[in-house]
Amino acid sequence: MSDAPPERWSDTQVALVDLIDRVIGGGVVLAGDVVLGVAGVDLVYLGLRLVVAPAHEVEQSIALGRRSA
Amino acid sequence: MMLLYAVVPADATAPETRGLAGQPLEIIRGTLAAVLVEESSERVSATGDESRAFGEILCDLATTTFLLPIRFPTMLPTRSAVLAELEANEAAWRGRLTELDGLSEVVIRAEWPEADQELDSVSPSPGTTYLMNRAAVIHRREASVAEISELVRPWAREIKVLPSQQGVRIACLVPHADVPQLKDAVSIWQQAANDRQAVVSGPWPVFTFVVDQEAGSR
Repeated sequence: MSDAPPERWSDTQVALVDLIDRVIGGGVVLAGDVVLGVAGVDLVYLGLRLVVAPAHEVEQSIALGRRSA
Repeated sequence: MMLLYAVVPADATAPETRGLAGQPLEIIRGTLAAVLVEESSERVSATGDESRAFGEILCDLATTTFLLPIRFPTMLPTRSAVLAELEANEAAWRGRLTELDGLSEVVIRAEWPEADQELDSVSPSPGTTYLMNRAAVIHRREASVAEISELVRPWAREIKVLPSQQGVRIACLVPHADVPQLKDAVSIWQQAANDRQAVVSGPWPVFTFVVDQEAGSR
């Protein structure tokens, strides 16, 4: 166990990270359109129920699905 | 294409705000709720800068009208598609707008250095040691969540634990007027032990506490 306190977070940094995290990880989810592309070239168009989520949330959902199966 | 920003009350005033594409935001109104949108000829890329700019626009809007943020980047092809979504969900959205009026979201991050050291040191250890250390870290996180939840209980209407790589992150739904008291309480709690740190960010629009699609469809 360390005697030294952890390096102090910058409040501004934390606020920025939290804002971006909540913008892409929170909010109302709707139907929508997704176009997946690389280097400006559209490759795949998906007209699906749109759920944009951070990778770790998707991984959690997959893990939960496996456990309940 | 229509980039969707937020659900607002049906009688909300149109904001004098421009969106990510530089176009003025418009309101598409239903009977019970409305949606703030920006019409754009180009798709919006979901980079960190764009996400931050979108969030800052929402934070500015939230100072003048109560809103339910829409997850970024949600785009619909036409105005009529937005209206169709609005008609399908406006009853649930109106209910949630009413429930959450006057409330903000704050996010508490708390971290303990010894937890990281345990995680870092377990890799070369035998499997049993690894599992025991891992369980200890999880138990410590659960205890921390319980401690912080109890700490903020006087002000938080709802609490949700957010995914976190290190330490814990907890989103709290708090009346606007109570945000300073909650921040003070967390600050005092952090100062009570010098081996932990805690930071409160916000107040934010209620990103974590909006109604989800399944609830909206019921």
